[in-house]
Amino acid sequence: MSNNPLLRSVDLHKVYRTGTLETPALRGVDFELHEREFTAIAGPSGSGKSTLLHLLGGLDRPTSGEIYLQDTPLSGLTKDELARLRLTKIGFVFQAYNLIPVLTVLENTAFVLELQGIVRSERISRAKKILNELGIGEYANQFPNRISGGEQQRVAVARAVVSDPSIVLADEPTANLDTATSLDLIDLMRRLNEERGSTFFFATHDNRLLDRVNRLVTLIDGRVDRDEIRTPETS
Amino acid sequence: MKAALRHLMRHRGRTLLTLLAVLIPVYTLVFMFGFAAANLRDMFETATRLESGHFQVRAIAEHETSSTLPLFDDTSDVLRVLDSTEGVEWRTVRLDIPALASVGGHSETILVQGVEPDTVARITPIETLIVEGEYLNSTSGGAVLGKQLAGLLDVGIGGEIVLLGAHPDAAMGVIKVPVVGIYEAPDASMERGLIQIDLTSARALVRRPTAATAIVCMVDGVVGPWDASGIDVVADAVRGRLPAGFEVVDWRGLAPMVVTYMNILRPVLFVFAGTFFILGALVVVNTLYLSVMERTRELGLILALGASRGRVMRMILTEAGIIASAGAVYGALLGVVLMWIVEAFGGIPLPGRFADMFRSMGLSATIHLSARASDVLISAAVMAAVALVAAVIPAWRAARFEPVEAMRYVE
Repeated sequence: MSNNPLLRSVDLHKVYRTGTLETPALRGVDFELHEREFTAIAGPSGSGKSTLLHLLGGLDRPTSGEIYLQDTPLSGLTKDELARLRLTKIGFVFQAYNLIPVLTVLENTAFVLELQGIVRSERISRAKKILNELGIGEYANQFPNRISGGEQQRVAVARAVVSDPSIVLADEPTANLDTATSLDLIDLMRRLNEERGSTFFFATHDNRLLDRVNRLVTLIDGRVDRDEIRTPETS
Repeated sequence: MKAALRHLMRHRGRTLLTLLAVLIPVYTLVFMFGFAAANLRDMFETATRLESGHFQVRAIAEHETSSTLPLFDDTSDVLRVLDSTEGVEWRTVRLDIPALASVGGHSETILVQGVEPDTVARITPIETLIVEGEYLNSTSGGAVLGKQLAGLLDVGIGGEIVLLGAHPDAAMGVIKVPVVGIYEAPDASMERGLIQIDLTSARALVRRPTAATAIVCMVDGVVGPWDASGIDVVADAVRGRLPAGFEVVDWRGLAPMVVTYMNILRPVLFVFAGTFFILGALVVVNTLYLSVMERTRELGLILALGASRGRVMRMILTEAGIIASAGAVYGALLGVVLMWIVEAFGGIPLPGRFADMFRSMGLSATIHLSARASDVLISAAVMAAVALVAAVIPAWRAARFEPVEAMRYVE
């Protein structure tokens, strides 16, 4: 594991404003993430997990504080530059509605590569390879509504790693899955972490999954409460 | 493109509605332009064939106030110019003389038109309007007159009319001609006031054996007033080569009613077309906007994954482009097919009062539709372009979504 932080947040604050009402979601988060880590962020509902992931992924901007991705401060980037950064450096897996309904599994997986401007033959070949690697190659020509929720999340993971991003951010990727499927998905992510060296940072409030991570950050009321290194259980 | 097609197929009902918003204005406009073009063509053809030709060569009047065309003698120089100018398809010499027609105790002031029977039949409709007897021919002479005038003079086929020429540029002449044909004209004033005789007899009426008042010309390849530039080119060429003392008067001066009608019709068509385009554009904006709002989460996901705003705009505009092109093409085809069907059933007969009105203007009471290719293409292309421009609004809206907010959106 490298000592250079891949992702770093400094005194990160986020306040949501609705009219005159201010709701603080993050209250000064200092945090570092290193290459090849498999880290979970846990905490009760409303603790700021999703907000932190959105800020780290350049999907939203902090009220104050700074985020550095490979030493690049995100606050100085325009919207289009942030989009480019998300496209090239970050893979995303969301809780639900991850796939584009009119694209097949293969096309969904290759979508990010298409946005990157990679030629069709190469993106198809890379998408097929990762789908086979994740054991869902047989669904390549199916549309998302023809496969199960667990399979859809696997496709989302395939899409997140297909372009070899610097980091994969996953926001409650198992929230809508049953226990067995959830554990399968986390094991799959773990395998990609070990075999491909992909860095994963995912939010969860499911304690059963936390045994699989090698670092656990606990967030409470918008602050880092605990940051512990763990020895993961194997499946 | 594939994804855009799948999106369109996913919501077939809405896609069909958007398609109709483009298709209906296009086929309506194609049909309307077909109707208007047919109308203009009929009017132009009737006016130029009935009286004026595409242009006339006349002697320049010394007194502007005179309503009678000045006489000129020796047409050979002018005919030589016309026969050697490219584009002059055909010409005929005419001699118009104000006259008094008498039979027994009945007299009427009329216009005698001396024509070359062999060539004038090409433009005058009178030959086709003959209801009794026959039209003039170059050997037998005689006169053809309208049914109303025949009634006023109480004369029939074989009867003789005494014509007293009263042209201000000539001595008064008198001739007696037999009635060889009687015609019924759509224009009452024509039926009551125009007698055609052969040119030689007319020249005897003014006692000038080579006299003429106009040489009527037709130009190659002219179908309607939209071909006016072709007439202008030939008329200008003739104008530049005419001997002194002659002028060219084109159809605009000869048939001002057609020009007036065109001047009224054009803005009316533009207003109609503009209204159709705007209505079509509004429906396109509305349905695409609805489609964008329904796909807020999906578009948020695409933006979250790193698609640029330009890319999202292009996605929506591609869908709009497919619908706009398909609507325009099918609309144009439908318009042309509808016109073809109408023509296959003999055109559109106008109802009673309208038919009378059109006949009185010298127009056919049956409308034969014929859209020009340029009108069809322009209607389709403009509607497609307007729909595409209208689609920029929802496309811009989609591109401005904030990814996080869009992904939280609940329909």
